[in-house]
Amino acid sequence: MMLRMLRQSWRRNPRRKLLAVATVFLAASLLSALMLVSIGIGDQMAKEMKSYGANILLEPAEQAVLPSLFGEGEDNPLAGQSTLQESELPNIVDIFWRNNIVGFAPLLNGEVAVDGHSVRVIGTFFDHVLAVADDPEYRTGQKIVSPYWQVDGAWPDDARAEALAGVALAGRHGWTPGTLLTVDGEALRITGILRSGGEEEEALVAPLARVQGWLDRPGRVGSVRVSALSVPENDLSRRAIRDPDALDAETYDQWYCTAYVSSIAHQLEEAVSGSIARPIWQVAASEGAIIEKIQWLLIMATCAALIAAAMGIASLMTSALIERAKEIGLMKALGAHDWRIALLFYAEAALNSVVGAVLGCLAGWGLARAIGWQLFGEALAFSWIVVPSVLLVSLFIALAGTWFPARRIVRLDPAEVLYGRQ
Amino acid sequence: MPEETRENPVAAIEARHLSRRFGSVAALDDASFAIARGEFVALMGASGSGKTTLMNLLTCLDTPSSGELRLNGVDAAGFDEEARREFRARHIGLVFQQFHLIPYLSALENVMLAQHYHSVTDEASARRALEDVGLAHRLDHLPSELSGGEQQRVCIARALVNEPPLLFADEPTGNLDAENEARVLDILRRLHGEGRTIVMVTHNPALGAYAQRIIRLQHGRIVP
Ligand SMILES: Nc1ncnc2c1ncn2[C@@H]1O[C@H](COP(=O)(O)OP(=O)(O)O)[C@@H](O)[C@H]1O
Ligand SMILES: [Mg+2]
Repeated sequence: MMLRMLRQSWRRNPRRKLLAVATVFLAASLLSALMLVSIGIGDQMAKEMKSYGANILLEPAEQAVLPSLFGEGEDNPLAGQSTLQESELPNIVDIFWRNNIVGFAPLLNGEVAVDGHSVRVIGTFFDHVLAVADDPEYRTGQKIVSPYWQVDGAWPDDARAEALAGVALAGRHGWTPGTLLTVDGEALRITGILRSGGEEEEALVAPLARVQGWLDRPGRVGSVRVSALSVPENDLSRRAIRDPDALDAETYDQWYCTAYVSSIAHQLEEAVSGSIARPIWQVAASEGAIIEKIQWLLIMATCAALIAAAMGIASLMTSALIERAKEIGLMKALGAHDWRIALLFYAEAALNSVVGAVLGCLAGWGLARAIGWQLFGEALAFSWIVVPSVLLVSLFIALAGTWFPARRIVRLDPAEVLYGRQ
Repeated sequence: MPEETRENPVAAIEARHLSRRFGSVAALDDASFAIARGEFVALMGASGSGKTTLMNLLTCLDTPSSGELRLNGVDAAGFDEEARREFRARHIGLVFQQFHLIPYLSALENVMLAQHYHSVTDEASARRALEDVGLAHRLDHLPSELSGGEQQRVCIARALVNEPPLLFADEPTGNLDAENEARVLDILRRLHGEGRTIVMVTHNPALGAYAQRIIRLQHGRIVP
């Protein structure tokens, strides 16, 4: 009978319910949009920031301290002297945080003679396939790690005698895509001209294996750029950076099991022997700060929307109860328990809130997509977890909003509302 | 349910020195009377004479300030709120001047609502109750689609569907035209003929004539 009453009340008096539904709808759509944006934004922002470059540089331990003494690049007399082992690179994607590793690219620098000139070369992966623990066909390289590289022409094939020529180097020698060079007695094709904004513009960038051959350093790697998704640094991670050994076992585990740049860097050092990982702090820090700020903003807006909705429901329910006082009085006169009458109103509030929440989820998804387009130029993905969460929260605010006015039901005197006072 | 005492086995209602005061106002003052089972009584008096106050006591919507009240032999003066609720659901049928039908429920559903709060719904017997008051063709109509007379008959069907021993009607024809008034009174008379105890409030002497007996109130007191 109660279900029948709910249905009839809805069917024959939909306009009255629409206001309550609309209130929940507004709050639910905001909430779901904000949740979707919050969930999406972490990944999305990190991906966005990634376009500024890899965020961890893995170098041989002995070399890491030297650049500050000698300066970067060619001036460093020991550059390319100490190296890492290429065979250990697959370990990078076998660390605890392997799912946060977006990709990596090894680097090996040197000089080779090209058609009688001495030219700087960089060996690396472009879109290299190698076998790692989880995936026999793992692809990684500069295409993933350096999405900001601009190539006029085509990317080289890692398996062929192909290379990119830095835009400055190519300009000096008049090289264009398609130019054939002779390096170390074999032909090398320029497939594209590279603009990177960095030292690569002065170099010939070729597949790692070939450069190892030319330099006679088989299986060696000078450094590795790693791109990783990370969470913002905080007090704990800063303490760990100063001295991981000073943490007690529990905080150490907590730090180790959180995807801070520093803990990922620490694990990379464990994964590749003789290496030291240098986080590229500017990117990591700004990533964290911006995400944190945006999330705070979202949380505060959501809270305000929820409180407003609960208050809106409470006032709608109060007026509904006043409007329907005669109905309640009649039920009491017919011998209804107070709880049965209250249940009817709670059920009605719950029904309204479920309808509002479902519609709100749909609208929120649309809103989140719009925000995604505005901020990142691409739509944010839909997370199903949002639906039950929004439903639960909507139910909660509807019931909380009904609780206060529902106490009126108990106080209501049937004789008074049914006969009035004469 | 308290045990029935058999002082007066035929009395449906027995009031002794019954009073109801609101602050200093004695809306009902020392009323003593008895109504036998199967009797049809009209409660009459001017506006403000205490008719509704007395009805609220008899229908367990209110508790007396002092005095004794027995309904079907049960001491109702000492009822707490839960006992009054229970007694209303089991033993009392109410017909209102303003009908008080739920606007979004059909005639049939309004009748079933009384069953719902009494025990369980039974659509067939609810339909029969409406047929008994001549509304077989109006089962699925909303109150707003019914005339005043039809609404009052739905109200009577609702009051009767649980077969309560006591039927109370407060100005049942106050909002009806002459033709519908006659129909409603015919129904009440028929119910009386079937052996039901009926108490009807009215200030219209012509209606009082339909009843077997008249109890008159004046300034809260029963007058001969
Ligand atoms: N709840 C109440 N509070 C205060 N005074 C009341 C209340 N109910 C009734 N009265 C007073 O009691 C008297 C009888 O009222 P009532 O029983 O409604 O008369 P009737 O129904 O015969 O018109 C009136 O003077 C009225 O003002
Ligand atoms: Mg009255």
